[in-house]
Amino acid sequence: MKLGRAHSSTLLLVRLLALAISLTLGAAHANDYSDVAQLLREGKLAEAQTRVDRHLAAQPRDPQMRLFKGVIQRESGRPADAIATFKRLSEDHPELPEPYNNLAVIHAAQGQYDKARIALEKALRTNPSYATAHENLADVYARLASQAYSKALQLDGVPQPGPARLTLIRELSPAPASPARPVLAAAPSTAASKPVVPAQAKPAVVAAAPAPTKPAAATAAVPAPSATPPQPAAADSSNREVELAVRAWARAWTDKNMTQYLAAYDKSFETPGQQSRSAWEQDRRLRITGKSRISVNLLELQITVKGNRAVAKFRQDYKADALAVLSRKTLELVRTGDRWLIVKESSGG
Amino acid sequence: MKLGSRPLLLLLGTTIVLVALASDRGEQARGETVAMAAPQTPMQPALTPSPASGTGQVNGAAEARLIEIYRLTGAGYTREALERAESLVRDHPNFQLAQLVYGDLLTTQARPVRDFGDVPAALAGGSAGNTLSDLRHESQMRIKALRERPPVGAIPSQFLALSPRNRHAIAIDASRSRLYLFENTPQQLKLVADFYISVGKSGIEKMVEGDARTPLGVYFIISNLDPKSLSDFYGSGALPINYPNVLDSKRGKTGRGIWLHGTPPNQFSRAPLASDGCVVLSNPDLAFLSRTVEIRTTPVVISPRLEWVAPHSVQAERKPFEDALGAWRSAKSRGDLDQLLSFYTPDFKSYDKSLAEWVPALRSEVDKARGKPIQLKDLSYLRWTDATDTMVVTFGEVADGERSGPTKRQYWVRQGSEWKIFFEGIIG
Repeated sequence: MKLGRAHSSTLLLVRLLALAISLTLGAAHANDYSDVAQLLREGKLAEAQTRVDRHLAAQPRDPQMRLFKGVIQRESGRPADAIATFKRLSEDHPELPEPYNNLAVIHAAQGQYDKARIALEKALRTNPSYATAHENLADVYARLASQAYSKALQLDGVPQPGPARLTLIRELSPAPASPARPVLAAAPSTAASKPVVPAQAKPAVVAAAPAPTKPAAATAAVPAPSATPPQPAAADSSNREVELAVRAWARAWTDKNMTQYLAAYDKSFETPGQQSRSAWEQDRRLRITGKSRISVNLLELQITVKGNRAVAKFRQDYKADALAVLSRKTLELVRTGDRWLIVKESSGG
Repeated sequence: MKLGSRPLLLLLGTTIVLVALASDRGEQARGETVAMAAPQTPMQPALTPSPASGTGQVNGAAEARLIEIYRLTGAGYTREALERAESLVRDHPNFQLAQLVYGDLLTTQARPVRDFGDVPAALAGGSAGNTLSDLRHESQMRIKALRERPPVGAIPSQFLALSPRNRHAIAIDASRSRLYLFENTPQQLKLVADFYISVGKSGIEKMVEGDARTPLGVYFIISNLDPKSLSDFYGSGALPINYPNVLDSKRGKTGRGIWLHGTPPNQFSRAPLASDGCVVLSNPDLAFLSRTVEIRTTPVVISPRLEWVAPHSVQAERKPFEDALGAWRSAKSRGDLDQLLSFYTPDFKSYDKSLAEWVPALRSEVDKARGKPIQLKDLSYLRWTDATDTMVVTFGEVADGERSGPTKRQYWVRQGSEWKIFFEGIIG
């Protein structure tokens, strides 16, 4: 049985990267970035390319735009050009995982799994945390496999190897370079040009949202095209916490995990139509668990934090069974202990 | 007629290649892994489904799930295959082959899998190595049986004529580790299910007691044992068959207690070559069989390799034998003892009686009938061909004007172009 390793590695990588995603972008170019991302989502490749070319004419080294360029080349059926673009980008920015990942996507689509594997291993090496988590996960899978094999061979009495010793990460790695990441996630979906994967394309597209603030650490990692002064570290970490809370809420919704979904709402949450809390919960349960498949993606997520209150605005890409709705949504959150909980949810605007 | 070679799955070397089996590709859940998959060889459209593969039915369901995991794996849906394998071993933790496949799928998440059952050397030493070969063998046999489906509507060549009393019939193909269960409907002998089976540790063609081989021949189920009366080892029950039969005894074969039975609690299925001569099925499959078959009337043909024929081609083959049987019936109806005796071989036996010892009984039977014609009710005959050509015949012998008569079994042997009787006796 020959099973693709490249597949699973990529999957893993994308997941790990998705966890680490930081959406902050330099405000000066936020519009360019989000516009190109939007044009790409809409499949308007020519327009996207015009914008990218114009931007690169002024700032030829901008890594995010060069990544866009490679994605457009790949999407336009010019894999060789895309490979060249990603290669040069990886040489200029060996610390970025995205160009390697995207190279792997193209190599894999061409059946060159060895090359894909090498590129993915390089991508993992850009961030020791990814690599460690990846290795740890591989160890856990190996132990699980060992258990299954023991059951297959009925090795009940045979002493098993001791418990797996996974590697503990002691220090936070520097915040990964931010601007490129959204497109990186988009790129694997572009590899899915086969007719079999429409459902997979969207979740991978993570918003290229212009965020009003930018983490100080990221400035160090990437030549910052940003004119925004660094924000105080506290505000930055609050932003992150709110973002994680909002994404966890969307995730719970997607997973139809009602416990986690409902736990994202504060006691003081304003239920729509002045329903009682229990009636509202019951209504949400019926609506959510009644769907066979849900996906909720957040686009252009913007977060503003003031003290213990936060507002998250985004475009909500909601799909459930045959339904697909793209709408604007605003969540108001309040800090409760060490958690951020939703107190108000409104659509439109 | 040759076996229909419907390619479902090909196990080529170490690579499982899916050729055709997919039903609705649109509905298949896809892992994100697909996004990275190489351009796939387009799947061939599914061919006409072969009858009753067991897939999708309650019986054989675990095997169908296993095959679906192979299919997903072959098509590159590793993530989906892993989820299905996880669910299969959760439902059947003692299904060793499923555990092996699950282990491989988990391994792919950590490192490339080089071979089917890529067990680390530390685990595969000693007798575990034999277990691993057994599991690979089991996998090959299951796939072989699903790839080489019987042609639609075909029947095993042994089933020349079944009576309405034979409501079911069983044929076992040792070369495919497979048991085929038929329902005898008024229109046709219909294949209703087929199951993976194990035979003797030393294979087939039982000769002597203790040789750990499974007998070959035409048998009947003679009993249906309650699992409560049996040890755990036999699982969900046991269906003894009448080994050694008349032909076996004539050939000096020994041994006894050949059963179709289930598996012990720690094994969902056993290796292709595993028993002391019995035929072993998984417990769900054996339970289904126990509920379905009939004592005394359900024939069990155990063949090294079944030959599948179109039912109409059997008609022509039946003619010479039916003529011989008709001539015997006519001689007996007329009470012509000399003519009648010409049908019996010199080494004829009726249980422990030789021909000379049995003739007086035949004579008094004929005298008593006073030339009253006889009819053969519920006639069935099954042909067994190896070094010799044997017909196992069962009928109710009913004299005209009577409502019933004794059920008799005869064994006929073909000598050149003539058929002769070497056993006759009343059964149960």
